[in-house]
Amino acid sequence: MEKATAFPSLVMGRGEGHIYCPRKVEFKTITPRPTAPLPDKESLLISPVGPIQVSLLIPECGILPEVLKSTIADVGEYYLVRNLSVHELVTHEFIDAFVKKGSCYALTYNTKIDQDNTAALLPNGKLILSVDKDTYEELGLQGHPSRYSGKKVMRYIITIDLTDSGYHPDSKKYKRVLWALKEKKPLEFDFLLAWYNTGAEGSTLMSYFSKNQIKALKPKITISTLRDVQCPVLKSNELQGKPEESCSTEELFEWLGAVWNQVSLDNKSSSFLSTYCCPQPNTVVEKAFLCTITGFIIPEKIIQLLEQLCCYFGEPKLAYWLTLTVHGFADSPVSWRESEHGFHKGGENLYNFVIFRNLDYWLQMAVGTNDDCPP
Amino acid sequence: MEPPALPAATFERRVVRSGAEHHYLRVRLELPDGGARPNVAQFKQLVVSALRELHGEVGAALPVDVLTYEEKTLSAILRVISSGLVKLWSALTLLGFYQNRRCAFRVLQTSPFLLALSGNSRELVLD
Repeated sequence: MEKATAFPSLVMGRGEGHIYCPRKVEFKTITPRPTAPLPDKESLLISPVGPIQVSLLIPECGILPEVLKSTIADVGEYYLVRNLSVHELVTHEFIDAFVKKGSCYALTYNTKIDQDNTAALLPNGKLILSVDKDTYEELGLQGHPSRYSGKKVMRYIITIDLTDSGYHPDSKKYKRVLWALKEKKPLEFDFLLAWYNTGAEGSTLMSYFSKNQIKALKPKITISTLRDVQCPVLKSNELQGKPEESCSTEELFEWLGAVWNQVSLDNKSSSFLSTYCCPQPNTVVEKAFLCTITGFIIPEKIIQLLEQLCCYFGEPKLAYWLTLTVHGFADSPVSWRESEHGFHKGGENLYNFVIFRNLDYWLQMAVGTNDDCPP
Repeated sequence: MEPPALPAATFERRVVRSGAEHHYLRVRLELPDGGARPNVAQFKQLVVSALRELHGEVGAALPVDVLTYEEKTLSAILRVISSGLVKLWSALTLLGFYQNRRCAFRVLQTSPFLLALSGNSRELVLD
């Protein structure tokens, strides 16, 4: 991994360290049932803080498939809390009520990772604060310099493990953290919150934060159908593609970007405006179904969606493959698992699944310069 | 009792670092109110003339594709080979006039992945 320089403008043309790793795994041994476990479920919880956008593309399909209806209708709600002080998230009341009873997600809203202080609460109970040097010194909590801040450190990362056995209401650590965030340097943010628990009773985020300005939000769903689209021909066992036979993963990735950005696919190579055209070989499909879900979506829901998509091929279908794209927050302090995430030029943080009819899949993960290689 | 072992799944991993062939830019042209708005061909011509102004004929020969263009908002997605990103970006930044009227290019987002341009969390308004 090449480290970014302190002067991003000097490296901006070279695209250093952009990582893009397609993966291919067969999971033929698993029957397509809703409960079928995916082989590496852990690595699917990749973007630990909820993604912002999930996009689904199914060729040869005109309407929302029956198997997906319930999952898409129930992607779960999330909350936006205005001016929430960070110390509210580290109190033992909050930890006992939410963090220890399910997966609790929190992310600061409208903060920029390369300018502002940001915070994220991961489902494993870790609170990550990414703060500038002044705030770090005022806070007086233990942290480490950001990996991407160059020679002169201007940004620090503080990780507080809220579920650690040493972190209980009587411990010094607890008192210190609470004091630092409540009295020494109070930090306030607008937070996006989501909570996932399996059936356990208890108070809800809505009632817990009732004295704050809290608003429940539902993810926005947009559905459309494309007509007569050129689709690349893919073969699940040929990642690199073969001339005249199938397209490579890179070509597919660019094509997907073109589809989602409404780029015209049928240009001539001599065209003055644009020479982009659909990769060869391709077929024209009569219709393609597009669905976008935008909001603070938790990874558990994406796994549900993925499992439902495997069921889609349970019955014979015309489509040979379908794709599921997940965009992460560009300003999240973490990307994959707990790896630090930075913005650099674009803060890319996304992955794409291609699921084939025979249930082979490709997983393409893309991150920007200020990121570790995904797992 | 242990469950019977499943046959090993085939697994292949490929990592491409700094290997992106193209870079993509989402840009918006700012013009004073009123007056003619460029159509897509004039827009491309403007980009080429910006390159020529700063980098000469060699710069003007840099292949740039206008992937999308919306005349109403004057916003576009451009594609350029990765080695030409700095040239294009600097030329757009330093361009100041369109048909003798002040203008400015705003680079809204840039990425080596076209797909990343379809989901920008910095422009997200949730409520």
